[in-house]
Amino acid sequence: MWFEWLFKYPRHAYEQGELAFAGEIGVLWWTVAIVLLALSVVFSRRLAQWSVLRRVPIHLLQLAAIAVILVLIAQPVLEVTRLAPGVNTVAVLVDSSASMGLPTSSDPEADRRTRLAVAKDLVPRVVTEATGGAKTALFHFGDHLARIESTAALEPHDGRSRLVDSLTDLATNYDEAALAAIVVLTDGAQNAGDSTELEALSAAGIPVHPIAIGPASVRGDVELLEFALPARASPDTEVSARLVIRHHDGGEARVRVLAGEAVLAAESVSLDPGTPVVTKDIAFATGSEGLKEITVELQPTAQDPLPGNNLRSRLLEVDRDRYRVLYLEGEPRWEFKFIRRAVAEDDDIDLVTWLRTTARKTYRQGTADPEELADGFPRSREVLYSYDLVIIGSLPATALGDEQHDWLAAFVAERGGSLLALAGRQALADGGWDVKPLAEALPVVLERRTGPDAPPSYAAGEYGVRPTEQGLRSVLGHLGGDPDNRSRNWETLPLLADYHQLGALKPGATTILEALEGVYDRRGTDIVVREGHPVPLLVTQVYGFGRSAVLATASTWRWRMRTPPDDPRHSVFWRQLIRHLAGASLSRQRLSVAVEGDSLDVRVGLKNQRFEPVEGTALTARITPPEGGAFEVDLSRVPGDGSFAETVPVSGPGVYRVDVDTTGSGTDASPLTTRADGLKALARVGTPNLEQFGATLNEPLLLRIAQATGGRVWREDDVAGLGDAIAFGGAGVQERQRLPLWNAPILYLLLVLLKGAEWSLRRYWGAI
Amino acid sequence: MAWLGLGALAAPTALAQASPFEYDLTNFIPTRIEYHSIGGQFEAYYYYDGRYWERWETDFPQAEQNFGKRLRELTAVVASRAPARRRLTDPDLGDSPFIFMSDVGYMRLSQAEIEALRNYLHNGGFLWVDDFWGDAEWRSLEAAMEEVLPGKRWTALPIEHPIFHTVFDIEEMPQIPARDFARWGTTEPPSQHRYPQGSMTTPSIRAYKDDDGRLMVIATHNTDIADGWERESYGEFYFENFSTKAYRVGINVIVYALTH
Repeated sequence: MWFEWLFKYPRHAYEQGELAFAGEIGVLWWTVAIVLLALSVVFSRRLAQWSVLRRVPIHLLQLAAIAVILVLIAQPVLEVTRLAPGVNTVAVLVDSSASMGLPTSSDPEADRRTRLAVAKDLVPRVVTEATGGAKTALFHFGDHLARIESTAALEPHDGRSRLVDSLTDLATNYDEAALAAIVVLTDGAQNAGDSTELEALSAAGIPVHPIAIGPASVRGDVELLEFALPARASPDTEVSARLVIRHHDGGEARVRVLAGEAVLAAESVSLDPGTPVVTKDIAFATGSEGLKEITVELQPTAQDPLPGNNLRSRLLEVDRDRYRVLYLEGEPRWEFKFIRRAVAEDDDIDLVTWLRTTARKTYRQGTADPEELADGFPRSREVLYSYDLVIIGSLPATALGDEQHDWLAAFVAERGGSLLALAGRQALADGGWDVKPLAEALPVVLERRTGPDAPPSYAAGEYGVRPTEQGLRSVLGHLGGDPDNRSRNWETLPLLADYHQLGALKPGATTILEALEGVYDRRGTDIVVREGHPVPLLVTQVYGFGRSAVLATASTWRWRMRTPPDDPRHSVFWRQLIRHLAGASLSRQRLSVAVEGDSLDVRVGLKNQRFEPVEGTALTARITPPEGGAFEVDLSRVPGDGSFAETVPVSGPGVYRVDVDTTGSGTDASPLTTRADGLKALARVGTPNLEQFGATLNEPLLLRIAQATGGRVWREDDVAGLGDAIAFGGAGVQERQRLPLWNAPILYLLLVLLKGAEWSLRRYWGAI
Repeated sequence: MAWLGLGALAAPTALAQASPFEYDLTNFIPTRIEYHSIGGQFEAYYYYDGRYWERWETDFPQAEQNFGKRLRELTAVVASRAPARRRLTDPDLGDSPFIFMSDVGYMRLSQAEIEALRNYLHNGGFLWVDDFWGDAEWRSLEAAMEEVLPGKRWTALPIEHPIFHTVFDIEEMPQIPARDFARWGTTEPPSQHRYPQGSMTTPSIRAYKDDDGRLMVIATHNTDIADGWERESYGEFYFENFSTKAYRVGINVIVYALTH
């Protein structure tokens, strides 16, 4: 306000315009300048007796005053381009999504008005005062953009907010008149379309001025921000869901995982007032096979003003996956036996073992036919690649040839398989693996101990186990039982009886478990770890397309032999570890279906037995909508990576099934399919109560939109200046104007201040 | 060996009970089970080679020491040079997933031992019972094990069973007599065993299997495999005819126990 009073025109005019002089700097101007300077010199002679320190400020003030007068004589102007009156339109866009029906205040008891009511009140003011003289056109948006004549009948009914798409649509397609700006009254909710795609909107060149309506937080609200769940899991296993919870006031909430009416898991979560966003992992049993809608429900102990954002659902397809695991062991030992026993309880894991029993004899178990591993190590790269996980025990590296070592490294890096290295006398560096290509893939540096007196890396000793923070967040850190006692489940395990000293962890490594060599309490047959120096025990990392892990012990068998027969922890640990690693390996055939608004993004990756892209085949996806009536869509080959993809528009919310038959006649020499029934996936379009999620003011998105388009974010209680911002915004039909500045108060005020200062100094120093 | 003789009275060998972590558990540790036998002299204990022996310690520790050494030489199993001995009720019994019992013809288990052995076997532990002869001793073992694993039935293992082929291909179950009887034949004389009215001529392996068909307990009946290990250095005839066969059986059993 004060800026415009002093400088006569708004800030936007100065930001956009250029200063110039309307008068001519000619003889008259120079004459005046010389006269003024001469008078200044004459009057200054009176000050001859003053010291230099006093004369200089007086001279400077006089010169400054003369400069102001000369500027005024030169007739200063501001050259701007501004909206040409009468030919431009400003689009006023009102958000009518359901979130605009929520309270506008953080304290609903203090202000019961809805956000839409506030917007409706603002629209007349925007139309009459803030459009810079342009005409206005009124629109609303929620799921779609639509023209309206009045906001009177507008209700917050739309189930989705498509903010960016609506703005882009308006900015690029409005053709009734020149569009000077878009004013959008919104809470910034964006839950349909892509909020990151602002390029098209920015390229349209229309400034967008969001008027932000809504609170930054809602008092008492607890919101389930995210609910992440694997799309697929095996029957009768444990799967972990990750929840991200946002809260305002702290407290406690009960978390329940439901499949229909059945409660699969229930835990309490403490909400620390100092940590507004909390991550929580909750494990539950998958149960029998089938498609399940898993719902997570938050039940805050206090009253929640937005209970609709406490529920989220995800689809879980419980189906059998077969994991093929190859275990190479160089020494008959108890760890080998008890891994096999633990895995034998899991019907989904095919464990094939190759054990060296003597210097020249081996023993195979779990082979599908007499030919499997008949030569020891898999006889070709393709056979090795048929496994999802390779476990290497106490096997010297010399047991394999150079080509086989190359295959193993490529198994992880290129095929995307998983590898687990166990501890042992002939394992890791002690087994000579430090000079083999696989060393690069492992998550720890393999350091060989040299010298005749160097102790072996692998030795007996007592070690407790505890999960790290990352371990507790991982499914690998869960041993079943009471989830509130996860740490205790580890602490009360029998001590390990060995440890393999590991080298430095590589930068991408994650430690899941630590071994503790230290102080223990023996309570009867229980040994409870009190404290100890932690050393890495289970370390994993992603390498290339695959994953590797090192387990620095070979005595987990004590967890089986020194606990009661019904203690499941040893079995749970090994089954989860193998499932986790084998499940992370890449499949030769992958189908992913992502929901993008009202479309399904169907993508299929197809590789042959050497995990190279399959050439020369065509794929068709069969889409089954929730109401039935399946239809087929040809998938297009994506150049470069050998995958196939298509975006498929769908008609409405619900669960869609996608089937892709990969059994067709491919020209590739390898069989196309690994699954007799082809690939299938499920996707849910639409989320119930979507508008209650992220229901606070989304100011960051509004700022990004304004910055990308040259507009500005306004508050509902301060839209003064919006008209000038639009007038000088640079869009629409513009005209060039020279705005006179000779009568700008700032110049006269400056003149008065300069002469006043000179007079004050003279008086102070006794010259007057 | 279960041979009874006369000689000076001597105390049973006093072997120190090692604490749980005195053993290097990265090794395979042959573990002998110490149990009670009923009866008096010539039953629960006997005199041989200058001292009295309890039944449980027959062939111990020399048999296990020799066997551990041969395991290291002949296989990739890293076996301990020092065998362990444990009672079934020792809290660290689980540190030995393989246990060995010998000369069980007069064995009696307490209720605590029965429960401990039951838990041990259900956890995946492996029991080998050796050196008992004739029907009477078989019935004695059968009765004891019926209390440990009620309802389980013994299965005679045919020569095709994997346990005969893990390392060596064994074509018939060998009968290993105590060295002192080897000179007269391969069968120990009936007088040396309890109620020797039953057949003692046919050696066999019988087993308890778990629900998945894995062997939990094996009993080598009418043979003394451990004596074949213990007496390997007692003469060329014995070594070539009995010790080699005993080692083949022992190695196959151990590798089976370590892999199933």
